[in-house]
Amino acid sequence: MNWRVNRLFRVIRAGLLVVAACAASSCGASPITSGRIEAALAPTFAHLVEVQVDWLGLPAMTAADFAVTASCRKLAGGAGSGEWGCTLVWKGPQRQTLTDSYDLFVSADGCYTATVATENLGGPLLKAKNGREVRNLLYAFEGCFDTT
Amino acid sequence: MTLRGIHAVFRVECIKLAAQAKTRLALAACVAGPFAFAAVIRLQSSLPEDTLFGRSVQQSGFALPLVVLGFAALWALPVLTSIVGGDLFSAEDRYGTWSTVLTRSRSRSETFAGKTLTALGFSVLAIAVLGVSSIAAGALVVGTQPLVGLSGVLLAAPDALRRVALAWTTALAPAAAFTGLAVLVSIVTRSSVAGIALPVGLALVMQLFALVDGPEPLRRLLMTSAFGSWHGLLAEPRYYAPLVHGIAVSAVYFVVCIASAYWVMQRRDIGR
Repeated sequence: MNWRVNRLFRVIRAGLLVVAACAASSCGASPITSGRIEAALAPTFAHLVEVQVDWLGLPAMTAADFAVTASCRKLAGGAGSGEWGCTLVWKGPQRQTLTDSYDLFVSADGCYTATVATENLGGPLLKAKNGREVRNLLYAFEGCFDTT
Repeated sequence: MTLRGIHAVFRVECIKLAAQAKTRLALAACVAGPFAFAAVIRLQSSLPEDTLFGRSVQQSGFALPLVVLGFAALWALPVLTSIVGGDLFSAEDRYGTWSTVLTRSRSRSETFAGKTLTALGFSVLAIAVLGVSSIAAGALVVGTQPLVGLSGVLLAAPDALRRVALAWTTALAPAAAFTGLAVLVSIVTRSSVAGIALPVGLALVMQLFALVDGPEPLRRLLMTSAFGSWHGLLAEPRYYAPLVHGIAVSAVYFVVCIASAYWVMQRRDIGR
């Protein structure tokens, strides 16, 4: 039985070495690019503002009304998973132009967690018009995008 | 090899499994686990924020099954798929019963097919039980509020339920691949310890590799990547490419593992 286990381990080890060598020499560009992140973050943020406005009991607006644009760059430069910083420019409920920054952690599978880095979107909880406390969706949120 | 023969082996294996404390315990854990998790979530204020949908578990009951799915993919699903698959063949080595099994009127191929089907059946059953239980736990303990999806869109309860159920269904493909791997290891090593520990260990190693920022095609070739292929179902617009890749990759792993296992089994010298 021992030689069988050894052979199996050898095959597995060889496979892992190939994967490791390929990963180390980056035989292909990372699919985590600023374009993909921006294209995912801007509409997600807009949809969340729409839900948040509804939860707060404010007059309804649609995601398109907020005209969100995002620009993202990786803190360490280049592309790939890790820490990213994004700036969102959007139109508030009174048509004023707003700018907010988010810290993103993007993982290799194309999912990210965004945490607000500026102060003007409030804390983790907000008070709705009817006095109830609701979760501030814009304080921290997550999303995924296609990496293929 | 006849269908009747395979069915006979399958039936006997199912009776054997149903009598084992191990399988009953595993299925009981699949039922109770999500409810225990839901109860903990209700009682404490901190949230599993590092898992997708962890932030939403108190707002919508549909977030809970997705958090469970995310957690389970790490090690619970590889364990559930290999406790039977990794033991079904090597148990005959452990008890020294191969010669009695193979001198019955069922051929080696029929025994192989019947046992493999049993392993697959248990994997499907365990995932179905865990999925249904976690959906029920979310709905009963937290409620059926609309769920905020992965693109910030609010999903109404029926839509959310459909997507969550589909997300759980996508776990079946990589689970079948892991079952195939467990069967292969169990036949090659003749050891149940290896049959269970190796697939689980490999799953952990593959997930570590998935964290490394490697080239995308390589990441997709990992067996465990398919466990995350449901993300696209909760986005708006939905994307299916990772799902299609996941199913294809799982199918290749499954076929290669099962074919090699069959080959080894057919050429094995049994009897001592």
